Amino acid sequence: MLSTLVENKPGALFRVVNVVRLMRLNIEGMTLGVTNHGEDCRITITLDGDEAAVEHVARQLVKVIDVLEAHTYSPEEVTARELALIKVNTDKMSVADIQKMRLCRIVDSSAHSVVVEVVGSAKEIDDFVKSLTTAVLDIARTGVAALPKELPA
Amino acid sequence: MSGARAIVEALEREKVEYIFGMPGGATLPFYDALWDSKVKHVLVRHEQLGAHMADAYGRVARRAGVCTGTSGPGATNLVTGIATAFADSSPVVAITGQVAKAMTGRNGFQETDVVGVLTPVTKYTVQPLSAAEIPSAIRKGFYIAETGRPGPVLIDIPKDVQQEEVEMTFPESIQIRGYSPNYPVDVQDIERAADMLARAERPVLFGGGGIRIADAASQFTAIAELLMAPVITTLQGKGTFPEDHPLSLGPIGMHGRAEANRIVQECDLLLAVGVRFSDRSTGNFHEFAPEAKIIHVDTDPTEFNKNKLVDLSVLGDANRALTLLYDALLRRLAKRDENNAWLKHVNQVREELKGIPAYRDSYAELSGPKIVKLMRSILPPEAILTTGVGRHQMWCEIHYKVLRPRTWITSTGLGTMGFGLPAAIGAKLAAPNVPVVDFDGDGSFVMTEQALATAVEERIPVVSIIINDRSLGMVEQWQRLMYNRRFVGIRFQNIPDFVKLAQAYGVQGRLVGSLQEFGDALREGIRSDQPSVVEVPVSHEEDVFPFMPPGKGIKDTVYGTSKEMAVF
Repeated sequence: MLSTLVENKPGALFRVVNVVRLMRLNIEGMTLGVTNHGEDCRITITLDGDEAAVEHVARQLVKVIDVLEAHTYSPEEVTARELALIKVNTDKMSVADIQKMRLCRIVDSSAHSVVVEVVGSAKEIDDFVKSLTTAVLDIARTGVAALPKELPA
Repeated sequence: MSGARAIVEALEREKVEYIFGMPGGATLPFYDALWDSKVKHVLVRHEQLGAHMADAYGRVARRAGVCTGTSGPGATNLVTGIATAFADSSPVVAITGQVAKAMTGRNGFQETDVVGVLTPVTKYTVQPLSAAEIPSAIRKGFYIAETGRPGPVLIDIPKDVQQEEVEMTFPESIQIRGYSPNYPVDVQDIERAADMLARAERPVLFGGGGIRIADAASQFTAIAELLMAPVITTLQGKGTFPEDHPLSLGPIGMHGRAEANRIVQECDLLLAVGVRFSDRSTGNFHEFAPEAKIIHVDTDPTEFNKNKLVDLSVLGDANRALTLLYDALLRRLAKRDENNAWLKHVNQVREELKGIPAYRDSYAELSGPKIVKLMRSILPPEAILTTGVGRHQMWCEIHYKVLRPRTWITSTGLGTMGFGLPAAIGAKLAAPNVPVVDFDGDGSFVMTEQALATAVEERIPVVSIIINDRSLGMVEQWQRLMYNRRFVGIRFQNIPDFVKLAQAYGVQGRLVGSLQEFGDALREGIRSDQPSVVEVPVSHEEDVFPFMPPGKGIKDTVYGTSKEMAVF
């Protein structure tokens, strides 16, 4: 996982993604949000690739002028959350059953489906989707947002 | 003040002498503002040439060279020149025109997303979207291009922004949050490096282009002389240590000096300064300097452990780091003498390798290596040599002793054919009082020959020497040695008469048939106040040796042709 803080201005994301592309890594998830009173932007990228390649990207990113910080983290080093919206077929799984499930909340209902919101780690969302089996109609995931944990004293 | 006027004013404040380029629709407001400026416009015949001129100017002048092109093809023609500067860490500021903001994304006439195209091969790109942003964009551009590890910066300015009239303020200094090029050198690193060097029994100093950039050649030389340790360089680093010095072994690499490649394999400590351990220098990374502890001094932290794992990395400007290191060494040891066992061994190896076929003169009257050696004896130490890319360049690597920093200007990182002549023009404008010679091949020369037009117009007296083997010689060599003599696409069936070609541009051209005639032509060329071309016909069959085949190590180095090696 790559966490980078960039100046909040047009083209900054392009420069970050360009370095990832150069190393031929695939982006599996990415979140981006403005921080520091609108001056900066935090980008968290989940990458499919070996550690050395991800580390290479992080080091090259530090050299990009618009990048303020870039770090790589293992899953244990960060607090990470992802949000997913999942449309569930209520003909296959009852609303009552859905309401009993952990982590989720129904945010919209229609005649034959509901949209549920799930917040958790990427693995928790994976597991949740699995438990719905064939009732899943559609999924939109945000990608992981992460902040590093405080180092133990 | 208009945006266009602000560009020119900002360039004047940066004390820009020359701008190399060609006008077009999207740069017309900018060119109009050049009318009454002190900045001199040098008209090129293709924007790539302007980028090479700016690049070489930057390498010689220690400050950014400036080039320009209009939107669309003007900007895309710059790409090869900008990528060349990027690969060799050269300070360049490129200013391009762009279609008016309202026309963005409409695929109008001469619109190219040049920021998108050039981002991967520039240190920074900036696109001012209002005229008021121009002064700070240009200040920022020069600051980024010239500091830290230098590199090219693109400033892309839409036409309507050039035409916009606003109140301007010109910043003296600027803050860039994500950029701090001046790392203080960690004194503890220096102490550790000094300990390692003092303990080493077989130290070698390894200098790269970073020493030239940081103006650290005198500190580097002082350390070598204190330790009495042999010195090797990269191809880009030639001249960071005088190659006629008794401690100099010359460059390592694919076509490096045999003694340099041999000794680096035997050292127990390698002090590498301003190098990036390129594959062309090291061969196989794993087999390179296998017995050595490595200290790496560099201003770019991303270079540490990128290609070769090192034992100690010292971050910082080479000039500052080597000054501190010299003092730290003085506290540990007295100047060593030349009778140390390691140096004796080094000189023995040097003696042993003197007789390799690669160092023997060819029987032919005219050959690349003989011409190179004669050229060195004729040119004064301060003369600047530029090159194209190919066998002629490699003969210079092996046989041309570079004596001073910034007198060897060549494209090593990108290996751009056609670099030589425009680079000679840029170098001559940066150093008008020294002779400047472009040592070129016939293949390289024809790629940018139209720079002769600029040389004539601007009365820039550079000498172009064309080693004419009527072939793409370096590729021919690889096809001969590695592709079983299956020659494809290398022989020029039609080649211009270079003497007549020169004359067509109004340039003195000479075809030489002997070393004597070559010497006369070169002497005449560097005395003249006009550009000149000297054609030297050579055999296409003379290959460059020593040759360390790609991906191989020093033990696989070939010192001569198979016939020569059979009797060696």
